[in-house]
Amino acid sequence: MISTADIRDATTVVLAAFGALFFLVGTIGLLRLPDFYARTHAATKCDTVGAGSLLIALAVFNGLDASTGKIIALAGLVLLSSPTTGHALARAAHRTGLAPWHAEKGRTP
Amino acid sequence: MKKAFVAALLIITAIPLLIGVAALPPHGETTAPVHTHISARYLMRGAEEAGADNIVTGVLLNYRGLDTAGEVTVIFTALVAGLAVLITRRKEPGAKADSAARGDVPAPPPVSPVVSFVVQLLAPFIALFAVYVILNGHVTPGGGFQGGAILGALFIALTIVLGEGRTRSLMPRLALPWMQGAALISFVVVGVLGAGLTGYFLGFPAEASLHLVRELMMLVLEAGIGLGGAAIFATLFLQMEAE
Repeated sequence: MISTADIRDATTVVLAAFGALFFLVGTIGLLRLPDFYARTHAATKCDTVGAGSLLIALAVFNGLDASTGKIIALAGLVLLSSPTTGHALARAAHRTGLAPWHAEKGRTP
Repeated sequence: MKKAFVAALLIITAIPLLIGVAALPPHGETTAPVHTHISARYLMRGAEEAGADNIVTGVLLNYRGLDTAGEVTVIFTALVAGLAVLITRRKEPGAKADSAARGDVPAPPPVSPVVSFVVQLLAPFIALFAVYVILNGHVTPGGGFQGGAILGALFIALTIVLGEGRTRSLMPRLALPWMQGAALISFVVVGVLGAGLTGYFLGFPAEASLHLVRELMMLVLEAGIGLGGAAIFATLFLQMEAE
């Protein structure tokens, strides 16, 4: 028999694993991508989707109470602030004249 | 001559400090007095004696309140020193005002509408969070120093987004010195109040009937530290931005 608790646990595992996967990919990207723009892109994806989905996993696991409200608020904050940070970083770099990396220039990452 | 004097002063200061360090118990020794007496007392009786469930706050404001008063004095002195340096440099000939008038300095780039929107959207929540951290410091981790840092950071973010003109009004000229000195002032006020109640400067009444007074004294200290810290952050930022 599949109980409600099983569905809750399964949802938690799936969301948490998804978040962890995003963090893994994002970290690899941060280390391996060729230039500032691409690395910013990788790093902010971790914070947005990775942390967001981990937090939602925690909220699902915790059930309905005051702590869940706090977790949801945190998830909302992360979903707002990380993309903004990424945008501000990339915009500042672009305005100060940092050229993006191009493969055809023959530079190796 | 001046160098010799400075060197002599340094050596005279260093010798007692080095002797003191040499006499300390070995690092991490479990039988050191700090582990057998003070920490145990703080942990066992801190909550009831200091009137704060958060032991860090109890130690900071009650047991070692005088030490924290010294700390906020140091921070305030740092502000004074920082302003002294920044204002002097500003008045040097050929400063930025001239070069800006000649058009040498490019205008600052416009603020990103995305950043502006998000900062303005989150600002009330950040302000609420800062007040929560300041006022809830005696129960949960946090307190005046942390909340003040959040408040100061919020002010800086808003200044970047909205421009100095609109955030300056948050710090009116008349109230500004009182805000910058809020931490010191609150320590003096609470200290004198404590002296009246217990006979000791910064003494907190221990009687159960006066626990509300005690909590109020802690709240005043936390609010003063928070407001003062935020005002000092903001002042230094504005002064450096004006460079």
